[in-house]
Amino acid sequence: MVDSVIGLSKPSNRMRLQQLQDTLFRGTTKFFALAVLALLGAILVSLAIGAWPATKTFGFGFLFDQSWNPVKERFGGAPAIYGTLITSLIAMLIGVPLALGVAIFLTELCPPVLRRPIGTLIELLAAIPSIIYGIWGLFVLAPFLQLTVQPFLKVVFGDIPIIGILFGGAPLGLGVLTAGFILAVMVLPFIASVMRDVFSTVPVILRESAYGLGCTTSEVVRDIVLPYTRVGVVGGVMLGLGRALGETMAVTFVIGNAHKISPSLLAAGTTISASLANEFTEATGALYSSALIELGFILFVITFIVLAAAKLMLLRLDRRSAK
Amino acid sequence: MTIDVSTVQTPTHSATPSTPVTVPKITINTTSERGVPEVKIAIKDLRFYYKNFEALKGINLDIYDRRVTAFIGPSGCGKSTLLRILNRIYDLYPGQHVTGEVLVDGHNILAPGQDLNLLRARIGMVFQKPTPFPMSIYDNIAFGIRLYEKLPAQDLDIRVEQALRRAALWDEVKDKLKQSGLSLSGGQQQRLCIARAVAVKPSVLLMDEPCSALDPLSTQRVEELIAELKSEYCIVIVTHNMQQAARSSDYTAFMYLGSLVEFDETESIFTHPRERQTEDYITGRFG
Repeated sequence: MVDSVIGLSKPSNRMRLQQLQDTLFRGTTKFFALAVLALLGAILVSLAIGAWPATKTFGFGFLFDQSWNPVKERFGGAPAIYGTLITSLIAMLIGVPLALGVAIFLTELCPPVLRRPIGTLIELLAAIPSIIYGIWGLFVLAPFLQLTVQPFLKVVFGDIPIIGILFGGAPLGLGVLTAGFILAVMVLPFIASVMRDVFSTVPVILRESAYGLGCTTSEVVRDIVLPYTRVGVVGGVMLGLGRALGETMAVTFVIGNAHKISPSLLAAGTTISASLANEFTEATGALYSSALIELGFILFVITFIVLAAAKLMLLRLDRRSAK
Repeated sequence: MTIDVSTVQTPTHSATPSTPVTVPKITINTTSERGVPEVKIAIKDLRFYYKNFEALKGINLDIYDRRVTAFIGPSGCGKSTLLRILNRIYDLYPGQHVTGEVLVDGHNILAPGQDLNLLRARIGMVFQKPTPFPMSIYDNIAFGIRLYEKLPAQDLDIRVEQALRRAALWDEVKDKLKQSGLSLSGGQQQRLCIARAVAVKPSVLLMDEPCSALDPLSTQRVEELIAELKSEYCIVIVTHNMQQAARSSDYTAFMYLGSLVEFDETESIFTHPRERQTEDYITGRFG
């Protein structure tokens, strides 16, 4: 039975079956992929619809209005938007240098024996549930900051004009600064592991040629590794930022939940996600819940922009290293 | 003699002094061409270990100043390893260690107190693939100079131009010094790397298969460059390409399985090698 079972002109039944399987398989996977996109679109649309009453009532002023009065049904998103941005900014200011240090240590200086254990431990930080961070923040970090770091900051910066305003008021422990601290710890593993990965894309031969010219390790990192991976590093930072913007539980525990913009970082504030988590159950009026949904919509847009920018940057890095 | 396209395109390098523009001051050692060469690097009973594997088994070799010395041999024979000891780049990797002596101008560079950054400034290296740094063409050259010297802007400009001229690259890049080094072609990038190595004024140039990623035309240009640079530097080149070794080196060391089999003037090695192994290798019977 050696002679041609496989005819070129007439496909056998078996081959027809295989073709059918292939078509089915292709269709199914395409459906799954498109379903995710459809889901994304649906969420966006339902957020927009849910936010419509508030959008209609407050217009663009919602973005800048500071009032949040459920009784009179006057809502403004400014404090929550401000809180979201400022806590994320603090988180980045603290988290990025730490992550950079960790990544540089792991790729450039760490003895190979320790590289894996330390890397794994740092990634484990990402595995801690955010509610645990919240509890730890409320019971451990906030009192600690209240007794040590915050008084210290007040003493050092309190009397300096302009900067002093940031550290005015009583050190409460709970507040914007504490939320920023918690977020910094939470985004650290994400940023550090992206940075570590992009640092290891630097070709060995490029490093060697810098060392071969007589560079010290710090010169290699500053002048070769960082410029070479600049795009990827920024992408990693954006990824961390995206996470900081949307983080809910831990922030809700420590930020103090006050709908006001206070110049002091030590004062209580709120973020979009914290407002949503706290208030949805008690949002009785249609306008109240619509205002919350609008906040959610705004958060969605902000994180979408940040993450899209991050992806774009990482994509550009991939394309370059593929060359 | 047939006229090669490349020789028509490339300007003749030997007759540059007629141009009045800043030609780098070259101290030409007139006795160097056929006189008795000085020993620049003396390698004594050098053994090298990757963890427990002995990759070099007691190498004794003198490398002469203002000459090109080629290391040839089959893959894994230790020629690159030997080269990488000469600027101690192997030091970057734990688990690699070395015994014996490498005397550069009589000074043992393997001694514990050796300042590695200074050593690597004095002994430049060019790698298998072009490795332009992620910065402009100008900065690629200026970077190395700035590591060691604080120069006013004009002096730095002069040094950069000198280095680029010396690497026969100036005319091709003088109008785009601000562009990224990565925008150059492969051959130009490799000459940029040579210029970068030359810019810090080393006395030894190590080249680890500098043409292995280049096309024949670019290879020829780099070889011409090597021929020119040897009037000023002690050049050590590792190559897989025996024609290249024959063309561009004065001395050749044939290595096999971590040992130095034969070392002699290139002409002798390629015309009447003393060792059977050398002959088999250069005639292509193995390797």
